[in-house]
Amino acid sequence: MAALIRSLRAVRSLRGLGSAVVATTCPASLYGGLRRGFHRAALLASDSKSDQTVPPPSHHEHYQAQEPRQGSSTFSTEQASASDPGTQHEDPWPNTSYQDQSGEQAEDYETEDQLQARILTAALEFVPQHGWTVEAIAAGAETLGLSAASAGMFDNGAGDLVLHFVGQCNVQLTEILAEEHNQVQLGQAEKKKTADFLRHAVETRLRMLVPYIDTWPQAMSLLLLPHNIPESLKHLSTLVDDIWYYAGDRSTDMSWYTRRAALTGIYNTTELVMVQDSSPDFEETWVFLDNRIRDVVNMANTAKQVQATGEAVVQGLMGAAVTLKNITGVNQRR
Amino acid sequence: MAASFKELPRRIVQIRNRSARFGPRNPLGNSTFRTEVSAYRCCSGAAAGRSTHFGFESVPEGEKAERVYKVFESVAQKYDVMNDAMSLGIHRLWKDSLLRLMNPQPGLKLLDTAGGTGDISFRFLEYTRSVREGQLRHRARANQTPSWQEIAAGYGSEGEEPAESRAVVCDINKEMLKVGKERAETAGITTGLSWVVGDAEELPFNDDQFDVYTIAFGIRNVTHIEQALQEALRVLKPGGRFMCLEFSKVSNPLLSRLYDAYSFQMIPVLGEVIAGDWKSYQYLVESIRRFPDQETFKEMIEEAGFFRVQYVNLTGGVVAIHSGFKL
Repeated sequence: MAALIRSLRAVRSLRGLGSAVVATTCPASLYGGLRRGFHRAALLASDSKSDQTVPPPSHHEHYQAQEPRQGSSTFSTEQASASDPGTQHEDPWPNTSYQDQSGEQAEDYETEDQLQARILTAALEFVPQHGWTVEAIAAGAETLGLSAASAGMFDNGAGDLVLHFVGQCNVQLTEILAEEHNQVQLGQAEKKKTADFLRHAVETRLRMLVPYIDTWPQAMSLLLLPHNIPESLKHLSTLVDDIWYYAGDRSTDMSWYTRRAALTGIYNTTELVMVQDSSPDFEETWVFLDNRIRDVVNMANTAKQVQATGEAVVQGLMGAAVTLKNITGVNQRR
Repeated sequence: MAASFKELPRRIVQIRNRSARFGPRNPLGNSTFRTEVSAYRCCSGAAAGRSTHFGFESVPEGEKAERVYKVFESVAQKYDVMNDAMSLGIHRLWKDSLLRLMNPQPGLKLLDTAGGTGDISFRFLEYTRSVREGQLRHRARANQTPSWQEIAAGYGSEGEEPAESRAVVCDINKEMLKVGKERAETAGITTGLSWVVGDAEELPFNDDQFDVYTIAFGIRNVTHIEQALQEALRVLKPGGRFMCLEFSKVSNPLLSRLYDAYSFQMIPVLGEVIAGDWKSYQYLVESIRRFPDQETFKEMIEEAGFFRVQYVNLTGGVVAIHSGFKL
């Protein structure tokens, strides 16, 4: 039923674009889709979501080639061997081939990584039932019309699923913050103060965890596995960096590091509080977040005051010393 | 013409027996043998259009399947014993590794091609059954104190249990399947297993049937490997996985020398002593040498249309597991 609605929507949107060829193949491809799911499902999915909510996981990976979808439908097969078979990362399979990544000219072809991203996104809805496991990935693959055996594509298993979800949330947050930034630029909204902005950003990001909050401890433990730590640290650091960037931080001195360290601490501790919070709508978590942000702001102010006080004290002592020297006559020039 | 066909292979077998008694074979073959083969090729006319390798011999393509059949017909009874003796039991670890890499979820359908005595299928069924039991136990534990929502939800849906997995063993050789069936009975595996006679180059199944296709130590015996790969692609469902466990090239030169010495000196002797069959095991070690190496085979799998093709070496390259997906 959902697939039917999707196809109708796709047909309607495509009619607007005036591409008759695709429209006629749409309903037929729906049923051939299971057989050629890899190609046709991509076509349906890509056309019903105009804004790419499936983020390219190549956002942070340098070796992917991101080709635009709309191109001539030259029949480029992905069966040619990859030109870079030697791309290594921490893998139990050190001899992987990635298919031709520039072969994405036809509309209904996608790279393996995009297919993997789609499978993982589909798998997220099974997480409340199966947890962050390979079973969830297998169930997600089945909804796309692929056999459950395709879950074997993910060498890191459940870790891949969690990292994909974290990356997806970060991209969503960045989009929301960029949109709000635009609003402020256009003058349609007021600029928030730093503390309020941080609070808003962290709360938005943490609210994305709410559907999976029951199984989130399992996900956190997966992120802490040694072979996942580099990736998860990367995600965390880009998250914190993005939030500070949109908060307006353009510092180039030590405060760049201290600010990000502080926000990392706030984010992690608030996440931990949220996981064991049972109050309605996580009120206690937001109260905790408020307190932590206030602490950090106070710390910053206190630090400035301490420094000023220290300088004043030192000057006072220096003055007292000079006076004493004058009194005892040590300073007299003989 | 037909009669002469039957005679000539027997003659060649006799010649091989004679030359085999002179010690380990010269990999290039000796000259008298070569002339016999070329004479055979001259007078066999139409069927000898193209030739392929049978161990270190060259035979017409039509002949290879028949000769492979004869080899396995004669080794079937002692197949498992010989496997243990030749590999010192390590073949069990290789097959366990294959299953672990496959990591099958319950409910999958396996096609075990050239499955012969059914080693992979037995392991597959055991693996999925223990995973399934684990899932059922987990579900039962979760249902100990159900919330009222879960109870209400449970009224509507029934039969949410994880599905049963099924394995089909396909082999060209009836003798091997017979031995496999006997083993299944002694092991007590009755459900979820079927035995089919079929040729890997022309599988007797419809398209899009299986979730996983495995071929363990069988693909080097196939005359046209590309055809077997294409058949595998055909019978797999979209998203299905192709896995091949096969002997491959050892990269380390020292290990390679030891391995060659062991293969050519020890294995035919073991074959003669335990199974009374020197030439079949001579064929075995020769066919290993004629099989393409890991990278070449990976390219062949990609040519056939599989994606995300990877391989893992086991035991230093003695055995390699190749895996690909139909996407």
